[in-house]
Amino acid sequence: MQKMGKQKNKTASFSFWNWVIASIIFRLILIYFPKNLNLASRPEVSTPLTSFRRLAEGYWLKQLSMSPYAGSMYHGSPLLLSLLGPLTVKRIEGQPNHLLYSLVSVIADVVSAILIRATGKNLRLAYLRSLESLDIVQQTKASGEFFKILSPGDAAALIYLWNPFTIVACVGLSTSPIENMAVILCLYGACSRLVPLAAFGWVIATHLSLYPAILIIPVIFLLGCGPDAPPRKLFLQKNNKEEVLSKSKLRLGFSWRPITHFAFWALLWSAYVLVLCGISLKQFGGLWEMFKSTYGFILTVEDLSPNIGVLWYFFAEVFDFFRNFFLIVFHVNILFMIMPLAIRLHHRPCFLAFVYIAIFSMLKSYPSVGDSALYLGLLGWFVNELADIQFSFFLFCGYVGVSLLSPVMHTLWIWRGTGNANFYFATAMVYACLQIILVVEGVSAMLNHDRKLRNLATSKPQDAKS
Amino acid sequence: MAETKETSEKDEKPKPRVRPIVRLGIFLISHSVLVSVVCCTAGVLALFLLPVLAKNTYISENALMPGSASPMLSYQHVSDGNRLVKDLTNLDLKSSETGIESQRVIAQYMLELGAEVSFHKFHAQLNQFHPLHFFSSPDSGVIQENFSCSSYGINTVGIIRAPRGDGKEAIVLVTPYNALKSGLGEAVSVGIAYSVFSLLTQVTWLAKDVIWLVADSRYGEYAAVAAWLRDYQIPKFSSLSTLNSEMCPDINNLYDLKVNSIAGSKYSNSFRRAGTMAAALVLKVGDQSEQYEDTISIYAEASNGQMPNLDLINVVNYLAVHRQGLRVQVEKLWSLLNSSWLKSLGEIFESLGKVAKSLNPEWKFGIPATEYVEGTATLASSLYYQALGVPTGPHGAFRDYQVDAITLEISPKYSLDKFRRNDILLRGGRLIEGVIRSVNNLLEKFHQSFFLYLLTSPSKFVSVGVYMIALALLIAPLPMVAASLYVDANSLDSKTNKSTPSTIADTAERGITIRSWRWLYSAKLVFAVHVWGAIVSLLPYFICQIPDCSSTISFMIWVVLSMISLLTLYSVLASPFSCNNASQEKEWALVKSVTISYVFIGLGLMSVINFATAEIGALLMVPMCLLARPLKFDLRAGSLRSFSRMVCNLVLGLIAFPPAAFFLLKGMLEDFGSVNIGDFWMWVESLWAWNSATYIFIGMVYLPCWVLCVHILLHTC
Repeated sequence: MQKMGKQKNKTASFSFWNWVIASIIFRLILIYFPKNLNLASRPEVSTPLTSFRRLAEGYWLKQLSMSPYAGSMYHGSPLLLSLLGPLTVKRIEGQPNHLLYSLVSVIADVVSAILIRATGKNLRLAYLRSLESLDIVQQTKASGEFFKILSPGDAAALIYLWNPFTIVACVGLSTSPIENMAVILCLYGACSRLVPLAAFGWVIATHLSLYPAILIIPVIFLLGCGPDAPPRKLFLQKNNKEEVLSKSKLRLGFSWRPITHFAFWALLWSAYVLVLCGISLKQFGGLWEMFKSTYGFILTVEDLSPNIGVLWYFFAEVFDFFRNFFLIVFHVNILFMIMPLAIRLHHRPCFLAFVYIAIFSMLKSYPSVGDSALYLGLLGWFVNELADIQFSFFLFCGYVGVSLLSPVMHTLWIWRGTGNANFYFATAMVYACLQIILVVEGVSAMLNHDRKLRNLATSKPQDAKS
Repeated sequence: MAETKETSEKDEKPKPRVRPIVRLGIFLISHSVLVSVVCCTAGVLALFLLPVLAKNTYISENALMPGSASPMLSYQHVSDGNRLVKDLTNLDLKSSETGIESQRVIAQYMLELGAEVSFHKFHAQLNQFHPLHFFSSPDSGVIQENFSCSSYGINTVGIIRAPRGDGKEAIVLVTPYNALKSGLGEAVSVGIAYSVFSLLTQVTWLAKDVIWLVADSRYGEYAAVAAWLRDYQIPKFSSLSTLNSEMCPDINNLYDLKVNSIAGSKYSNSFRRAGTMAAALVLKVGDQSEQYEDTISIYAEASNGQMPNLDLINVVNYLAVHRQGLRVQVEKLWSLLNSSWLKSLGEIFESLGKVAKSLNPEWKFGIPATEYVEGTATLASSLYYQALGVPTGPHGAFRDYQVDAITLEISPKYSLDKFRRNDILLRGGRLIEGVIRSVNNLLEKFHQSFFLYLLTSPSKFVSVGVYMIALALLIAPLPMVAASLYVDANSLDSKTNKSTPSTIADTAERGITIRSWRWLYSAKLVFAVHVWGAIVSLLPYFICQIPDCSSTISFMIWVVLSMISLLTLYSVLASPFSCNNASQEKEWALVKSVTISYVFIGLGLMSVINFATAEIGALLMVPMCLLARPLKFDLRAGSLRSFSRMVCNLVLGLIAFPPAAFFLLKGMLEDFGSVNIGDFWMWVESLWAWNSATYIFIGMVYLPCWVLCVHILLHTC
């Protein structure tokens, strides 16, 4: 996955847009073989929340003047129904059935990639600026060739576009490209200090899949003290030692103004979204019905059909009277990790966002490969920082192995009948372990990088003396 | 795997306190040569020990209770069956231009018993290329638009509704019958089925419906059964195909005849269904056997090495041996029976077993040498047919719908004259009756016993837990060697870097930055070769569109196109023979490491899909991968060890090439004179025509691995 993006960056005659166009063509080719691939029915791609078939069903119910949430089929947002619903039934003669809908997914993917690229450029600028202010540009340039060659934005965008997970989620007609786009929109807006856009992205992402709500913490850090930089302590140290650093280069304080703006806009957008939802669900039980069958459905894990997560198996096994207890335990699990990570990584809000996304796409109730596609794409932002991540080869092999083994185990269980649920669940557990290792190693590589920068910054005066 | 790998990579960065498991991992990786030799030897040895370790079969599902009721099939039913056989043979003599007449007779007999009868028309489907079909759910097939009336077949289906059942479950009895040129054997098999059927219309204990399918085998037994099953399981909602077949005059004639001859009968025009199938038996009567007894052969292998539940085989085996006095056999690789090395190996195991028994009478693992040889021959054939992925009979069609099915072929001792025929009808009928009665007792579908096993004799099996050990031992060295190569390549790299004059901090960082992602270049090469593998496996789809192409020419075209695509991909994606950078000196080690990791993933994956393929593939691939080393180094070293390694490499590289391996095996098993270049094409064609996963394995795992090994051998830097 990373390979693709990286190798392209290395070649001298590299052209970002060529690869973007190639990825679009590749998706279109796959879209023209929908019957052969049958991706839309894979449990890895379509969860109860992102399934295309459920969206179409919800749209039909609504057309028949029934509540789209009747019969526990559809669990998405009513706005998606009005925006994407008509595309589920529209057909063009002689073309694949869901061509228009697929095109929307392709466009969403491309827009996400472009936003990732722009954010990556922002991050790179911020990184360079912080290095300059620490006066260690020369050393880092001498020590790492990666630095000059790799622009994190291009790498991240190409990883996102060429990641098989993204392609599968896009061709498999799931709604996750759109959810991912909302998350990326939020991060992009926060990075480039477009407060209304950031608020819009955050509100829409939360509205669509609830879990991105915790991204409010990295967004606040982003708006409050700017994009990723080495720890603030380092600058203070530097200032104490040399007392020459111009403070204008970096804003070290925490500014509350953009945050109040953000809060205002977030309130405005959420009110707007709720009003729209209320209008569209006026006859069908109103907003309460919506909350019950979207957020309620996510939080109570009602649908236990197998997916690549770990919750379905657990809640299929657990006794009913413990169910509520374990529901709380599992959801608090995500919340528990928010604070420590926020304290430790507050100086790198984008990386914090990546870690949060990785954690909730591992622990969410209905995960799909589209969620993994998002955080693997964001991983590309930190190619410079994570250049010395451990176990990279092992993780890569693990991802390849699990993503091949999991469908095979599913076939053994469902179609052949020679395997059973444990076979499939075993791959889900291995997958979760891989994600944990990725997060742990990523965080430790990032902290090592900070340490390295500190060493460079503090050792420099001695070098100069000698 | 995860543990060893993880630990292996942990030692990249020496830490002051090392956990025991990490230390164990480091120990294993640093002695990877020894470990891999030991593991591979143990793996091969374990494979040869499997016949010794085989356990006796036992009936696991208590509800089956085979043979607890005395058979009710009487001479009355046998004479009924005999009457049908006579009618069918007489018909054959009279008019053999169309098969419709015999179908009509069979249907008439069924109707007289009070069964529901319907005819099922189907069209012989051409071989199609769906390489990933084994992976997806069975679909309703492509409706061919331009078929003619001449290429249809008619299955006759009779259904008895169970007096005690709710119509939710059914047992299927299949007798292939070719109306155009039926032998006496086929007629007798229909007779046996009829006698059982006539008994089952009268009994009170029947709790599952019984479907008797007389499969029209003029286009092959499998095609007829598969077509009927497809229509049974997946209802067709488009009326196009049915309408088209209604237009064929012959079939309509058949309907008219039926309706006219028997008014008010249970004959129906539409497709009739019973419940879900609990089990299916395919019954055939073969020619005279060479054995001295009446024998019954069991064929169980379905597509992609799937086997029916062992309990079904157990029930048949138990009833045939202990109730009907038939000799049961499963297929053997006959050429292995006379091999002397196997015999001596068996004697060694026998004497070892005796020694063990003298030490402790509790240890009973020795089996006689002759039994060992027979067990090995059966095991080899079991492995071979599973690895091929091609079903050994019409029962294979059932397994695609998760229905357990086997084919029983009865071979009588004498020829089927009038008196002997009655005996065969009685014993065969009682066997079938017993099996149906057992299956009838089932409360759930077969689940109690094994699905994953290898047979070493009709009453002995090796379960998945035992045979997986052989494969696990064989492929265990792969991750370890990959990790050790990876660590070596990286440490060498940092060493070379340290020698260059620059500051210490600088090199440390440089080493880290490059080291962590250096494998990407090798991964790119491996990925390119796998893409090539995918292209090669898709090429036959286009080649077989060329009209009037003999198998030899097709094979040649395939080889040439593959070569061209390999060269193109090499030049576009990865230029292997250029080494402009000094840091690429150890490139081959990383390539080997990545290759081995992918082989490990591929073999692990295949062992889940089809164990036998993975085992046979591992026997060839594991030594090839582990030994691969640039020939240039071995030439330069010039010692005896490196020379022998070079020879091993060359020999392995030569015989592991898929066509070479195929011709070698074929020559060994049959005769070198009869080997034809086109044979390989035919063999591969049969693989994809039957949707065998082995084809994908050869194209996407085995062939790329071979190419990468050859690439490492020819590495120039």
